[in-house]
Amino acid sequence: MKKPGKGIISIGEIIIFTLLLLYVIIFIAYPMLIVVFESFHDPKTQALSINNYIKFFSDTYYYQCLINSVIAAILTILVTTLLGIPLAYILARYRLAGKTLYTALSLLPILLPPYVGAFAFIILFGKMGIINLLLMQIGLIKQPIDFLYGLHGLVFVESIHLLPFIVLTTAAGMTQIDPSFEEVAEVAGASGLRRTLTITLPLITPQYASGAFLVFSYVLGDWLTPLILGQKYYLASVAFLNIAYHFADIERKYMGIIAAVLASLLSVASLMAVRTYVERKSYAALSKGTTAEGRVIPIKGIKKVAAYLYVFFTMILVLLSPIIIAIAAFSRRWILTPFPEYYTFENIRMLFIELPSYIQNTLIFSAIALLMALPIALGTGYVLARTNISGKNVLDGIMTSVLAIPGIMMGIGYLIGFDYPLPFINESLSRVWLIMPLVLTARRLPYMTRTTHASFLQLEKSLEEAAFVSGASKLRTFFNITLPLILKGVFAGMLLFLVMAIQEISATIFLYRPGWETLPIGIYLQWNRGTEFGVPAAAAFILIIFTLILLIIFSKTGQRVLGGAFAAV
Amino acid sequence: MSMRQEFVKLVKVVKTFKKVTAVAGVSLSVNKGELVTLLGPSGCGKTTTLRLIAGLEIPDSGEIYIDDLLVSAPEKGIFVPPHKRGIGMVFQNYAVWPHMTVFDNIAYGLKIQRLSKDEISRRVKEVLELIGLSGLEDRYPTQLSGGQQQRVALARALITRPQLLLLDEPLSNLDAKLRERMRFEIRSLVKNLGLTAIYVTHDQAEALVISDRIVVMNHGKIEQIGKPEEVYKNPANRFVADFIGVANFIPVTVKKIAENFQGIVVTEDGSVIRCTVSSRLKENNKAYLLIRPEDIVLYKDSPPGENTLQVKVVHRVYLGNINYYWLNYNDLEFRVQTSPDFEVNEGERIFAFLKPDKAIALPE
Repeated sequence: MKKPGKGIISIGEIIIFTLLLLYVIIFIAYPMLIVVFESFHDPKTQALSINNYIKFFSDTYYYQCLINSVIAAILTILVTTLLGIPLAYILARYRLAGKTLYTALSLLPILLPPYVGAFAFIILFGKMGIINLLLMQIGLIKQPIDFLYGLHGLVFVESIHLLPFIVLTTAAGMTQIDPSFEEVAEVAGASGLRRTLTITLPLITPQYASGAFLVFSYVLGDWLTPLILGQKYYLASVAFLNIAYHFADIERKYMGIIAAVLASLLSVASLMAVRTYVERKSYAALSKGTTAEGRVIPIKGIKKVAAYLYVFFTMILVLLSPIIIAIAAFSRRWILTPFPEYYTFENIRMLFIELPSYIQNTLIFSAIALLMALPIALGTGYVLARTNISGKNVLDGIMTSVLAIPGIMMGIGYLIGFDYPLPFINESLSRVWLIMPLVLTARRLPYMTRTTHASFLQLEKSLEEAAFVSGASKLRTFFNITLPLILKGVFAGMLLFLVMAIQEISATIFLYRPGWETLPIGIYLQWNRGTEFGVPAAAAFILIIFTLILLIIFSKTGQRVLGGAFAAV
Repeated sequence: MSMRQEFVKLVKVVKTFKKVTAVAGVSLSVNKGELVTLLGPSGCGKTTTLRLIAGLEIPDSGEIYIDDLLVSAPEKGIFVPPHKRGIGMVFQNYAVWPHMTVFDNIAYGLKIQRLSKDEISRRVKEVLELIGLSGLEDRYPTQLSGGQQQRVALARALITRPQLLLLDEPLSNLDAKLRERMRFEIRSLVKNLGLTAIYVTHDQAEALVISDRIVVMNHGKIEQIGKPEEVYKNPANRFVADFIGVANFIPVTVKKIAENFQGIVVTEDGSVIRCTVSSRLKENNKAYLLIRPEDIVLYKDSPPGENTLQVKVVHRVYLGNINYYWLNYNDLEFRVQTSPDFEVNEGERIFAFLKPDKAIALPE
């Protein structure tokens, strides 16, 4: 057995590691811990105490928020599982015409900004939405049906949005299963459904667990969707409202901090549980591997029709929101009528003439964040995959924990943690615009570090060793051999980072100051101000276009890297 | 410089990975111009030993010298990184860089040495001719067959004119025919260039064909070092005998040791066998009698006297030029090779004569 040799640790590697460690401590660990620390302060006396927690749990209003959040998160896991597993199975096992397109589209919801779905479903399923108005027009119902406003609506909107987490992770899992596992079951007499239930699904539980965690943690940290759907009794929403709007009421502010801390704790705990589970139950080692496509099962007749119908059904669910937003972006007076009264470029024009800074800010902040994240991701990938430095697990642990930390927690952390004047500039970091790209970097970093790290791991080590023995130093080998060979994976990670950075709002909403509004913040403000829906829709439409452009480039450079980004959390 | 000068020397080298000891105190000398094979089953530490010599692994303790220069000595804080050891190495999976042409792959080491463009292309051309790849300079590795990639890897290892060539199972990914041809090619290349080479393989036939000397390894330790015929005919112990060639073992007790290691052993059922006795055995020791399939003569009846065992035919395989028999002796299975003319039926009781000059009693 050949074991990977890590070689001797050079001074350069120690410097890189130290810098990375400093980064994660200052910009990830410290802001999170300062919030936790803050939550143990008495609002009035500032003395250390657990009174805040006692108060939180004894107040039925706040306590109920915790219960609601957990229930919504679990229900969303349930719905995404029921919807997603069949889709993943169809995409992984059957060779349907247009499979690549469906696979790409099934990814779309999570890449689109979260409020796109909520806005679109209000237009479609709202009290005065298309469906209700149509039903009333043809006289089927007298009163509008409440499709959306309540737990059921929240779970519905979240489920469509988070479906890709389940589909992507489980489909990747199914593709990786050694075909002989299923074939053996069939030879033994278990076919069809029985084989799927007894062999396929149990084998992909590790990947499914990663996907389910991502869904769970997203719902826990989502403040925006409940608010758009008119609900505020959820942990993240209450945290947002209390801190952003009631910061003067010191007691409410502290209850908000507690809510954010609790959402984070639940999320981090579930991440740790899933990681432990995945490590214990990793079946990959048993398998001898398979082709890139994995096992393909031929189907025909009614089964084939059913497979197509199901895929089309989910594709409609996925495409519904971007299409509706696109219509809304080019129309006015879409109120109380099933379809817009007239179509116009007015919304887009307003956006470009009056609010160009939204677009500018989004692009500039995201680009700066990308430039900062790139060396961090490359360095982290290198340190984790190619060195033996003790303490690299700490680096990995803190970086991974970002996946579980709700944006709201990070926003609060940066707000509280960097509110002290810096030397030389005599200004606190939270008042300098650089805070925006900094928080974007930290929050979206995992998408890039994970793809980069995966690329390093996939790179055959002997390719680098061959350069060493040819006389190349470590540094020279990195630039001549390693970097060119992992470039594709790094590039894919950069695109994914950008897609996720331009839609970020949860953390930045706490930090922006007048003039720093990004497109997502602009959309939220416009919506909150109650201006005509066309303008926020137009802003969302622009974001969708950005995302689609990045997605097209992405699909050309290698989708397979994506498995590494989400799977095996 | 004499021909027998030590070129590579390992002194009590130890390497552990987490809790697994991969190399457990290996000492070894390789002479200048010698082709030495590290042979053993997977996990025996042979590849790790090679990588320690290359500097791709750092030993936990011990010393490694290349050309009288101390290159690894953790106790003294000495470690020369691989790119400063002046070696050439061929990897099991070839490790040909997919983003570079054949020319760029081979020229890489020379570019690092900052040679002139003319000099580089002259030497690449030279080595391509030597290795039989002329005309493929502009191809990318994906456009090459496995055998051609293997040659590129070899050319890349030779281009810097290293004194020491390290080969890590270089032929294991080739098909059987090509593998046999490449054995000879590699050997003659190494000899013609006057290189010192260390060659790792798990294939005993390959080791017998290619090596000046074979180092048989197991569990991170050296079991025997010797010329191919030595390790085959005079294995140090049961493991070596079993690993190289096909071996039958019969548990025996040493009864008498005479001059020149000739002696007498007794099987469990009292049969007396004359054989060579390992120097590591004493009288009354328990031992294993090694007898190779080609060193047994079968008789249908009339036992010719001593060194004969009564056996039962279990199974026969006809291989064209030979007959191969599986025999049962006291619930012990052993294999015998006979001429195709010798035919007995399965289930028959016959007699096996063990050639006294070929049978060896070995310690465990």
